[in-house]
Amino acid sequence: MNAFIAFFKKEMMESIRTYKFYILAVVFVLFGFMNPIIAKVMPDLLGSLLPDGMTITLSEPTALDAWGQFYKNGSQMGIVILVVMFSGIMANEFAKGTLVNILTKGMARPTVIFSKLAAASIQWTISYLLCIVITYGYTAYFWTMAGVENLFISLLGLWIFGELMISFVILGGILFRSLYGSLLFTGGLVVAMTILSIFPQTSSFNPVTLSTMNLALLTSGYEVSKFLSASLVTIVGMIISIFASVVVFNKKQI
Amino acid sequence: MDKLIEYLPILIPIIVLELGLMIAAIVHILRHKTYRIGNRTIWILVCFIQIIGPIAYFVFGRGDE
Repeated sequence: MNAFIAFFKKEMMESIRTYKFYILAVVFVLFGFMNPIIAKVMPDLLGSLLPDGMTITLSEPTALDAWGQFYKNGSQMGIVILVVMFSGIMANEFAKGTLVNILTKGMARPTVIFSKLAAASIQWTISYLLCIVITYGYTAYFWTMAGVENLFISLLGLWIFGELMISFVILGGILFRSLYGSLLFTGGLVVAMTILSIFPQTSSFNPVTLSTMNLALLTSGYEVSKFLSASLVTIVGMIISIFASVVVFNKKQI
Repeated sequence: MDKLIEYLPILIPIIVLELGLMIAAIVHILRHKTYRIGNRTIWILVCFIQIIGPIAYFVFGRGDE
């Protein structure tokens, strides 16, 4: 446990000193501010861009539009930035050989993985929470939250998806020992899952559902039970991915 | 224009954060000589690409001290 705490502190300090944590937090805070404002000004913006004489009728923006922006930004840009930020989490250690000293001094190998996972999860959680709080605050200020259903489950889904991405990035880094290997591994898996999601039957056990069906869930256009089963599959996938990381890392030559 | 003033309280934090990130990246570029890829001119130009530029610099361009 002491080793875990020590390595966890090292991870957090590294994230702060290399600006990773700041950037992640700033990006998500920015998203938090942008989501409601974009939803609010979008009709005016479209109206002013149209040439004279042309009119389109746009309905008044609602809280759902703000959350729509939230999921659009969060599930695309947000997840991409999360993955890119943590793509070097294992690869840099291999490249610099910084793990050799620690492991030869007797630290258990799984501890490395678990403390890295914990550090990355905490940074993701804090950034994501900041984004939610700001978006929620302004959305509730501009509009009412009436008509928005299942918000908690829907937000939790995207969070679990982010956690899955972190575990993929770690597994990819261990398997391929390089930043790009880690990125390609994660990207490849996401693409595979996205292709799978073309078939609607698969949506109840496809992790991608957690990042694409959020908005439909808010309007009750998607069943909660399907969303929950997809969450369960995602959590199982995450555990398998962590387990595989531990097994592979134990046999890996540093 | 009236609309702009109406939304100013929310726009200010966005502008401050975005400019802050950009300035931080440019200061970092000017204070360090070596980059993982590219050179100083390229990175300074990249920093002006909205929000993604400074992020790209810190992730891919920032060399090890």
